Amino acid sequence: GKGEIRKVPVPANRYTPLKENWMKIFTPIVEHLQLQIRFNLKTRNVEIKTCQETKDLGALTKAADFVKAFILGFQVEDALALIRLDDLFLESFEVTDVKPLKGDHLSRAIGRIAGKGGKTKFTIENVTRTRIVLADAKIHILGSFQNIKMARTAICNLILGSPPSKVYGNIRAVASRAAERF
Amino acid sequence: SVQDGLAADFRALTKTLYDLNKALGSNIVRGGPLKELVIENFDEEQIWQQLELQNNAVLDFFKKSIARDAEDEDLCLFSDQEEDGSDAETSSDKELEDNIMEAETEQKNVYTKEKTKAKEKQSKLRESIMQKYSDEDSDIDFDIEALEQQTKTAKETTLKKMGRKSIVDDKFFKLAEMEAFLEHAEKENREEEEDINYFEDILSDDEEEESEEAKVKPIKSSRDLTYKDFFDPVDDNDDLVANDVEDDQEEEADSAIEEENEESMSEVEDMNEMVMENMRSKEASKKVTFSLPDDSETEDVTDMQLEKGIDPSEIKSSFEKRQEKMSKKIKSLEEELLEEKPWQLKGEVTGQKRPENSLLEETVLFDHAVRMAPVITEETTFQLEDIIKQRILDEAWDDVVPKEKPKEEAFEYKKRITLDHEKSKLSLAEIYEQEYMKLHQQKTEEEENPEHKEIQEMMDSLFLKLDALCNFHFTPKPPVPEVKIVSNLPAISMEEVAPVAVSDAALLAPEEIKEKNKAGDVKTDAEKTPTDKKRERRKKKLRKRMKLREKEKRQKLLEKMKPEQGTKLSKKAAAAKLKKLTKEGKASLLKDEGKDKVLKSSQAFFSQLQDQVKMQIKDANKLKKKQKKQKALSVHKLKL
Repeated sequence: GKGEIRKVPVPANRYTPLKENWMKIFTPIVEHLQLQIRFNLKTRNVEIKTCQETKDLGALTKAADFVKAFILGFQVEDALALIRLDDLFLESFEVTDVKPLKGDHLSRAIGRIAGKGGKTKFTIENVTRTRIVLADAKIHILGSFQNIKMARTAICNLILGSPPSKVYGNIRAVASRAAERF
Repeated sequence: SVQDGLAADFRALTKTLYDLNKALGSNIVRGGPLKELVIENFDEEQIWQQLELQNNAVLDFFKKSIARDAEDEDLCLFSDQEEDGSDAETSSDKELEDNIMEAETEQKNVYTKEKTKAKEKQSKLRESIMQKYSDEDSDIDFDIEALEQQTKTAKETTLKKMGRKSIVDDKFFKLAEMEAFLEHAEKENREEEEDINYFEDILSDDEEEESEEAKVKPIKSSRDLTYKDFFDPVDDNDDLVANDVEDDQEEEADSAIEEENEESMSEVEDMNEMVMENMRSKEASKKVTFSLPDDSETEDVTDMQLEKGIDPSEIKSSFEKRQEKMSKKIKSLEEELLEEKPWQLKGEVTGQKRPENSLLEETVLFDHAVRMAPVITEETTFQLEDIIKQRILDEAWDDVVPKEKPKEEAFEYKKRITLDHEKSKLSLAEIYEQEYMKLHQQKTEEEENPEHKEIQEMMDSLFLKLDALCNFHFTPKPPVPEVKIVSNLPAISMEEVAPVAVSDAALLAPEEIKEKNKAGDVKTDAEKTPTDKKRERRKKKLRKRMKLREKEKRQKLLEKMKPEQGTKLSKKAAAAKLKKLTKEGKASLLKDEGKDKVLKSSQAFFSQLQDQVKMQIKDANKLKKKQKKQKALSVHKLKL
């Protein structure tokens, strides 16, 4: 019958990255998930549609999530994990959700999260096996449920003001315990 | 109490009777050793026994006389009481009778007492016979109440006997069956009430008839006794009872039960005679019986007896007999069913509804909710001991293993998860992929057998050697890194005997001799930054501290181990020595005066020096001035 359509809006700052990575985006969707994808220039949406060749209906959701993740700011390879693995999720929250900060305090909090040269953010990413996108006051985390929780806790601690070294220690402890269990 | 008085009277009376009897009529009755009855401080039992001794003799005499009279055809029994009385009167103890009649009440007491005793100890036939003796005498003056009591007890006992196992039951003799037969026969014909032998078989003077266990045939001498004399033939020829013993038993049992009642006694006598006849007739003909199951034996016997009693001419076929038996069985079963059920078959029986301690005899089944505790028997203890011994030999103790807390150093803990501060080179998908692969590869790795590894290694080394020996173009494999301790000697000494080239170089590189600085380059004092200097200072201080601590430790240890050597160089020893010297005056302590402090800086030193010089000059000037003054005075003096 009629195919289902999903639409993902694209903000202006992501046009160029979309254009550059278009091949990498559309190849797995079309070839592996057997869906149809196009970018509607007028509405500035990425549209994904099922067709006759589509075998799995869940693929549509996966593809939509994949595109959404890329639009948010994740790398294509990282976002690709969403298609390949079932149990990956995407969580977003704001810095002001954790603690109402304004002006300089907010900036300092963001700076704490990022660290010098992105050091802190990369550390958290590596230890918790997640991907973090820090877009001004918004934070997006991509990973499995437990790992998202770990990363979220770390980031919240940073927002609330603990020094990075302490946060490292904590996430290291938690990660080691999690690793031990498995 | 009343009883005691009566008892005393009775005893006295018995004694008088006995003595009287002895005094008067001792010629006719033989035996009876005691001349008088002793009662002072004697128990009832003892008095009884004395009496028994006397009674035995008397009874023997009576038996003989009665037997004689019974056989006498001139005499005949008309009615029970009178005849018994007449029989009794044949005895020569008339005086005794008179005496007894006088002392009627006492006799009655005796009577009742004796009766009670008879109830309790039924097997003591001597007593029963004694009672019989007394009973015969007192037949005229009869206590109706006593009689009623007797009948009751007799009936009870007879009732009890029916269908119940008694002590006297044997393979050959069943009391119940005998009584049944007797009852039946009594009902059938009451013809013969003639003079009956009380004691059925008077075989010889010496025979003891009273004991039930006596199964000896008196005729034979003791040498000729065989098994037959003692026991019945082994097979179940119950009808073929050729023993007089059984007759005896029956008689005695009968007499024991029913002697009080004279009517029943006569019946018994009738029955005895009947039994005798039957037995004798049985002896003549042998009969083959079918050994039917269950209680056919008794029935057989009784049937046989009944049969013989009823009509010997009418012979029933085996089928008829079987039918009879079946019908009887059915009847009995029906009666059983109609009867009230025994308490075991009634549900919910309380303690009041069943006899006392009846549950003890029953085996009751019930479910156990809890597992029963094991019964400790000798065997179980032996088994346990065996296990213990084996364990000791094997030294397989079940000791408690102490728990150890796994100590992890912080260093190692930190090592476990390294913090990578750079952007990861792998994408998220690849990371998860790697994890997945790791998980699955672990399984394959574990399957490698350690023995296989060993074998592989050994084979490798062997093949390497073989290849080296036989292969022309042999290229050795790259060396596997291994740990080796090298000492820094000139290379020439360590290498081959015939070296290709001689080298002056040492084996160890310069870095291996002296460790390189962490920073990489060696700095002079001018090049060192303050942090470097401070670092060096700290290191120096640390080194010194460690040295000092080590020294102190060694000292302490030395003190403990060898006290004399240790105390030589210790602080305490030094202090003590110093004190001694100062006291003696050989040494003096330099006090710390303020002066020394001043000399620490050059400026201070020079200023002090200057001051000193100034002081000197001043003094010198003063002297000069003083000298001048002195001179001036002399000139003045001179002018004048």
